[in-house]
Amino acid sequence: MASPLFYALSAIAILCALGVVIARNPMQSVLNLLGSFVALAAIYLLSGFQFLAAAQILVYAGAIMVLFIFVVMLLNLTDREEGQPILMGLFNGRVIGSLAVFAGLAVSGLISTTGNFAAVDASAHGGDLDNMESLAGVLFSKYMLPFEAASLLLLATLVGVMLLAKRERSGSQDGGQA
Amino acid sequence: MKDYNLLWLMPLLPFLGSIVCGALHFATLSARKKNPEVGAGPGALAAPVAILAMVGSFVVAVTAFFKLKGLDAAGRAMGVESSPWHWIDMGPFSVDLSMVVDPLSAIMILVITGIGTLIHIYSSGYIKGDPGFAKFFAYLNLFVAMMLMLVLSSNLVGLFVGWEGVGLCSYLLIGFWYDKGWPAEAGQKAFVVNRIGDACFLIGAFLLIRLFGTLDASDIAAGVAGILENGEQMKDLGLAALLMFGGACGKSAQFPLMVWLPDAMAGPTPVSALIHAATMVTAGVYLIARMNPVYAACPDVLFFIGCVGALTAFIGATSAIRQTDIKKVLAYSTVSQLGYMFLGLSTGVWAAAVFHLVTHAFFKGLLFLGSGSVIHGMHHEQDMYKMGGLRKHMPKTFLTFMVGAAALAGLPLLSGYFSKDEILFLAFGHGGGYIVLWAVGLISAAMTAYYTWRMVALTFFGEERFDVDKVHPHESPTSMTMPLMVLAVLAALGGLLNLPHVLPGYGVMKHWLEPVTDLGTRVFEATGFVESHAGATTEWLLLALGAGVALLFSHLGFRRYLNGPEPDMADARRAPGLTGFLGNAWRLDGIFEIFILIPVRLLSEFISAIVDKLCIDGAVNGVASMAKLIGDDTRKMTTGSVKSYAVWMGVGAAALSLLLIWI
Amino acid sequence: MNVPTEHLLILAAVLFSLGALGFLLRRNLIVILASVELMLNAANLTFLAGARAHSSVGPLNLDGPIFALFVILVAACEAALGLALVIAFYRQKQSVDIEAAAELRG
Repeated sequence: MASPLFYALSAIAILCALGVVIARNPMQSVLNLLGSFVALAAIYLLSGFQFLAAAQILVYAGAIMVLFIFVVMLLNLTDREEGQPILMGLFNGRVIGSLAVFAGLAVSGLISTTGNFAAVDASAHGGDLDNMESLAGVLFSKYMLPFEAASLLLLATLVGVMLLAKRERSGSQDGGQA
Repeated sequence: MKDYNLLWLMPLLPFLGSIVCGALHFATLSARKKNPEVGAGPGALAAPVAILAMVGSFVVAVTAFFKLKGLDAAGRAMGVESSPWHWIDMGPFSVDLSMVVDPLSAIMILVITGIGTLIHIYSSGYIKGDPGFAKFFAYLNLFVAMMLMLVLSSNLVGLFVGWEGVGLCSYLLIGFWYDKGWPAEAGQKAFVVNRIGDACFLIGAFLLIRLFGTLDASDIAAGVAGILENGEQMKDLGLAALLMFGGACGKSAQFPLMVWLPDAMAGPTPVSALIHAATMVTAGVYLIARMNPVYAACPDVLFFIGCVGALTAFIGATSAIRQTDIKKVLAYSTVSQLGYMFLGLSTGVWAAAVFHLVTHAFFKGLLFLGSGSVIHGMHHEQDMYKMGGLRKHMPKTFLTFMVGAAALAGLPLLSGYFSKDEILFLAFGHGGGYIVLWAVGLISAAMTAYYTWRMVALTFFGEERFDVDKVHPHESPTSMTMPLMVLAVLAALGGLLNLPHVLPGYGVMKHWLEPVTDLGTRVFEATGFVESHAGATTEWLLLALGAGVALLFSHLGFRRYLNGPEPDMADARRAPGLTGFLGNAWRLDGIFEIFILIPVRLLSEFISAIVDKLCIDGAVNGVASMAKLIGDDTRKMTTGSVKSYAVWMGVGAAALSLLLIWI
Repeated sequence: MNVPTEHLLILAAVLFSLGALGFLLRRNLIVILASVELMLNAANLTFLAGARAHSSVGPLNLDGPIFALFVILVAACEAALGLALVIAFYRQKQSVDIEAAAELRG
């Protein structure tokens, strides 16, 4: 019943992802990324992960996207970058080789797992697979240490970003101009 | 008596003194950096600090002695003990360290702190004006702390800590004037030779752990009986005893490890008196007396100890005859006297050895300090050929030195007479192979009397052989003569501590030591070892013989050298081979050189050239050049292009994933 | 939604491959970072697919969502730091072309 919706959303996600890769203009790339994120969030929601869908929209589509767009605008980039058509790059032997490895991986992974999964019961646990109450319970007990570590990571990021983004005032030695 | 924790103070006080003196030394150094003319500076405080620490330690020793004296026989056997410190605890093996004063260690601590205090006072005069004044006292105090640790420890682990500690201090003090060069080498020699003994000690200790499961001295004593009954482990016990004796050989300068002691005379003379005559070198004797039940169980090992002791006594005495350096005479004499102590131990009458240890500490300490006084007065001249006639210039030193010499020579009624004759009597009375040892001992005693009075005659009598215009011998300050006089009294009357069996009031020390020595005596009852068969008549005869030999050879030595060293030259002309042989102490150094040093050096050359340069350096350089070879090719991979790195990373991740999937 | 787990995984694989492709092909640093985000999303999808498969036959499995949550968090940090680096890089090189950074050529 909901399956057609899933396949439609999958198609949107894949097309948008393709757009990210082939768009000449960084702004177009980033906007395609936004589409992919939203489609994924909808898939999460369909799969029964309401909280993560919300987090996906808030953090990815909200915060991270704004950051990307902000940087693109700040640097005022146009499509003056790559000279050769992007798809021509595909014929680079190196890239083809690595893609072959990835494809092989994906295929072998699928072959090794096919049939190992039980049929999915969509109605299990009332269709709410990331019940916020249970999630919080686990997060603050079993995953307490990673949670604390994550807070430290955020703090370190905050400091690091401030340090990186700060314009050097004067007497800089590493060539950065004021 | 348990929990007498004041005992911890005994090693602790000199230890703290050592730290304070060390700090004073550094203070002096920094003061001297600012102002080179400062002289002693804050270091001058070191002598009072160190002496105070010693006096405090001595007071504690005396109180502990009287505490022990107040106990009955059973209580004395247990000793006065501090509460234990759980030092090492690893399952089946644990080490509880406590300080124990039993009759044996009581004697040792009184000797160490008593003579130690005197020598500290003496040093404050002797070492005055030396740039390392405070450093000297820091080392000296540390030595006393370690020596007390050695004798007070309730088990062999603590004893070993002290054992190594005194070895370290000995090394530091022998090389005290390291800037002269040869003292540093002498210190190294002492250290390396002692290492051989210490390795034996350690292996012996490990064997004892295997046999008894403990290193606590009293537990070992209690366990010997069980092993005797069993009989199976007797071989191991004998081996352990032998190895322990090997350790004692190193520390107490017995054949063949005695070569370091004469060289150790490179240190300041008070050091020679304290460490290389009175205390440290007797640690081996103490060790065997402490472990007496183990040795009592192995009569063969005892006889071997006696042989080594007698041989050492003989080598020492013969070598001393041809020395020209006054301190070298005393050093070989010390080697020889230590040999007597081991001979005494081998008769199974442990008290006799301890008695000789104590009297030797008195008279040899006195003689060393006296020689130090002479050297001090002669502006650091040690060659007896360049002395003579000093009795007029330093009367106090002369008189006290005479007392010490008489005691060493074994002139009747002085301390050395009683202690040495006791050992010879026991060896004779024991019969069998010991008769040979007695004969060797008696010959050595004759030579002892001879070389002692030769030394006195050369130093104090005859004409003045030094340049009277340049050298003005002078009497030493009171801080140096006062200890001499105290020691002279002790050296003269020390014999009263343990008079022979045939005299009234005999055997004070022997009875005092009985709680400790009875452990061994009980084992003797089990093995059927009889200490002595001789009766009173034999004892009288031997006493008379000893006195006669001592008097005769003293007279010979004194008369011969009264007019200077010419008889030595005559001997050298007549028998150059023999005199050279004796003068070089049986050429033991040369033998060591040929049989040990040269092979070791050749081996080292081999290892240096083949193993080190070819194999190890080759391997290291090979790895480096391999890295270079590989790097020359692979560095092309470092393209600087982030994307190529990403590709490699992806390939790696893919390979890992494949591994995880397929394996 | 009775979609089999395999289909979710295939979607994740496709998205991941596209992300990897973008990462390797593009030279614009911002697009490269966007591709990384794409790959992280694909990883998240596999976590959730696994959690969904486990939860449908047994007790509620929360490890997957928790991991996804942490991945989102780390992605946020990564994006913030990465973009800060892009700005710093631009300031240095007047460009966001990754080929401009080749100082480490051996």
